[in-house]
Amino acid sequence: MSKFSIIFLYFDPGLGAMIVQAIVAAAAGILLFSKNAWYKVKAFFGLIKDEEDTYDSIDIEEEDTERNDAS
Amino acid sequence: MTPANQTHEASFRDPSGYMFHDGGVLRRVINPIYFPQYTQLRDSGFFETLIKKGLLIPHTETSVADDKIVITPEPIPFISNPYEWSFEQFKHAALLTLQIQKYALSKGFILKDASAYNITFHKGKAVFIDTLSFDFYEDNTPWRAYKQFITHFFGPLVLAKYHGTDIFKMMQTHIDGLPVQLIASLLPGKTKLSSTLYTNIHLLAKMESKHSEDYSGETKVAKLSKKAQNNILTSLFDFIKKLQLKEASEWGDYYNKTNYDDAAFEAKKQLIRDWVQSLSVKKLIDMGGNDGTFARTVIDIVEDVIVTDIDNNAVGYNYQQVQKNGETNMLPLVCDVLQPAPGIGFNNTERNSLIDRLKDYAPDVTMALALIHHITLSGNVPFLKSAEFFAKFSDYLIIEFPKRKDSWVHSLLTRKREFINHFDFYNESEFEKGYLYYFELEKKQPIEGTERILYLLKNKHSIGG
Repeated sequence: MSKFSIIFLYFDPGLGAMIVQAIVAAAAGILLFSKNAWYKVKAFFGLIKDEEDTYDSIDIEEEDTERNDAS
Repeated sequence: MTPANQTHEASFRDPSGYMFHDGGVLRRVINPIYFPQYTQLRDSGFFETLIKKGLLIPHTETSVADDKIVITPEPIPFISNPYEWSFEQFKHAALLTLQIQKYALSKGFILKDASAYNITFHKGKAVFIDTLSFDFYEDNTPWRAYKQFITHFFGPLVLAKYHGTDIFKMMQTHIDGLPVQLIASLLPGKTKLSSTLYTNIHLLAKMESKHSEDYSGETKVAKLSKKAQNNILTSLFDFIKKLQLKEASEWGDYYNKTNYDDAAFEAKKQLIRDWVQSLSVKKLIDMGGNDGTFARTVIDIVEDVIVTDIDNNAVGYNYQQVQKNGETNMLPLVCDVLQPAPGIGFNNTERNSLIDRLKDYAPDVTMALALIHHITLSGNVPFLKSAEFFAKFSDYLIIEFPKRKDSWVHSLLTRKREFINHFDFYNESEFEKGYLYYFELEKKQPIEGTERILYLLKNKHSIGG
């Protein structure tokens, strides 16, 4: 597959930017893990309030994941 | 082959295909080099899902041949650019990009670029418009559009938090996003304490300058698991979702400060509705239209409305209402009439100027309510000049002229101090002299209870067709 991908590198992704993603991901992983843990602690004590906003979730498919092959 | 002059001016960087004008219809050619991706995206239901969710612009396949596939996307009346978005719109565009990348990743694809110009606003929502932006995902590769996401979306948004939304205008001078080093240097030092900001901006800037001279490509390319990449996407998503402007985001309740009592306000609304109704209008633009209050009085009798304002907060408030009311024919837009967005990029045509886009949009009616005194007195633009501006793209013009006795005008004139005599020309007859050079007078009606007159003017030269 890589023969296709090489063609499409029509802009420079930045070498530093490719390397740094490993560190960004590690930091993000720790943050998400601790947020999750904190959320569970709060949920345990019944401290979760539903936040109201106009944003969707990052995941666009929740329950209808497999229903797209009908046609 | 499509003659070069029919290809779309913004469509030349990506070898996968290009847009072209087929008569009045905008179509997209897909080159054989992109057939494998395209067919898999089509046959796997990937396109279908994104289209059904309203995240990707719908398209139909027009023709399939060995040397090219042609698809026809749903037409979009007006393409807005990042430097014309309110903070909320910018946020939604960024979040949409992350949603799509995360979904693509789950289906074995990636977004191969994360340009802010891949997104525009259509039917009241952000929508992804570059159907050929997807490529196959290769296991354990980092996201190659990551840096572009930072320079087009994350950086400008974070900077806007600290310096205000004027930052978005820097996108006009940097068509490929704000340089990472510049973003890093403009951020306050305390942002280094945030792990998200430190890694995504400060560290990125450092790494980019460290590796900028690796011309031979000797450094080993890093690996990144899919799970790790999902963590980046999710943490950026959460961070952006929570971003808020530091500057007071309270919308200034403009209409309570103006010179209208309720009766006059309603009279003006009724007058506008009557006039617009009599013209059978399809497209309308309200310039300096604030939060869209007056445009909303006719929103049910026109097909498409654009409301521009110089105030990012007013535009943001308008956008909020669009979402709340589920309006699909209203586009809120940031625009300084005294300095409309220029044509930018290669040849100055990659992203068209506001005036060029308005000429294409060809509104049947342009409204300019409570605007002319600002153009004339704050901007020192003579009536003839502002009339020329409106005449470039409007068939009909509904324009409100506040007389000298109007308190707003009075205060603007007072601020001129010893130069006040230079503005003696600001009166009804001079206004008419300037505007009737380009327009014919159709109707003229003083608004009761105010010092203001509403005009309905018709362009002497027909616009569009």
